[in-house]
Amino acid sequence: MEAAAAPWWIWPLVLFAVTFGLGIVAVLAAASPGLLRGGLASLRLAMPLALVGSITSIGGALLGLALPVATVQTALGVTILAIAVLMWSARKSEHPEVASPDALGTALRMHGVFHDPASGKDIEWKVHRTPAAFVAFGGIGVLAGMFGLGAGWANVPVFNLMMGVPLKLSVGTSGFLLSVVDTSAAWIYINRGAVLPMLVAPSIIGVMLGARIGVRLLRVAPAAMVRRLVIILLLVAGARALLKGLGVWN
Amino acid sequence: MQGPDERLVYARWLDWGTRIGLGVLAAAFFAYAFALVEPLVPLQELATVWSLPLERYLAITGAPTGWGWLASIRKGESLCLLGIALLALVTVMCYLRNGISALGSGERLQAGIALVQVVVLLVAASGVLTGGN
Repeated sequence: MEAAAAPWWIWPLVLFAVTFGLGIVAVLAAASPGLLRGGLASLRLAMPLALVGSITSIGGALLGLALPVATVQTALGVTILAIAVLMWSARKSEHPEVASPDALGTALRMHGVFHDPASGKDIEWKVHRTPAAFVAFGGIGVLAGMFGLGAGWANVPVFNLMMGVPLKLSVGTSGFLLSVVDTSAAWIYINRGAVLPMLVAPSIIGVMLGARIGVRLLRVAPAAMVRRLVIILLLVAGARALLKGLGVWN
Repeated sequence: MQGPDERLVYARWLDWGTRIGLGVLAAAFFAYAFALVEPLVPLQELATVWSLPLERYLAITGAPTGWGWLASIRKGESLCLLGIALLALVTVMCYLRNGISALGSGERLQAGIALVQVVVLLVAASGVLTGGN
């Protein structure tokens, strides 16, 4: 459908519907109150990493505005697909084992007990490879800013596979962290005049309402199902971005 | 400071902030989309300009940059940006609350992280950083 040929009101309506669905499965930024209340997100885990991510996301947003759209889309697609392969090949990622926490993670109090309502179990968690995670979140921040806030998927593998955080807590904390990192990058786009309210407003409203349902689903969904869902969404999002970048999907 | 109490306080602030921001945004968008307020760009012409490169879009429509939208707050687009800006400022308020609380309980490292984050967000919001083309 050509943008110019379709009535203008079609696009905000479609965006609202799509982002409502995305919000349900993606548990994005708007879900943070529910995530925190339900113990599905950890403040002490998110805050230091969000700080690094938000600083680099500003740089990424400045860079993104200066790069050709096709290049940005192609790079995003390749990145997301690589992450999907990483998630798929990982074993026992629902509840990773961390033999000994590192000093930085301990100093920042990145540990706790996560209650999984789906299994009814309390899972004690701690982290390792925290310095590497800081570097990774710095890179994710650049991507998040560069790709117009679309690189949040990378958070989950870093929390889960690199740091050893339980998968559901990783998904929830990623949602919380996105609300901070993406806010930094969003200001750059707003200040540049690059925000189209007719498209952005229904997207925000849709994703925020959808995410409220998403938090409830995250609470009750088994961790194995969450893992499969994350991988599927990564594959779809990665393929779409790559095809758009290569000009196959317009 | 990062125990259940602070987590719940943060959640409460975030919840109320996002409710207010979302309410303003939804009302603004309703007024904008149903032509209850005058738009900057006529709605029928939107689809012909929204795929243009940013610089051309700004040149053709005269859309404001920086905080310039505040000067045209009666326009539908600017009202929506007000809602978006309110939502973006919620995180600042939550972090400020969290940082002050941590400072009060002597947790300097956590307070420092929270307050530096506030500075980063305010710098981003200020419009000082607007590179790229």
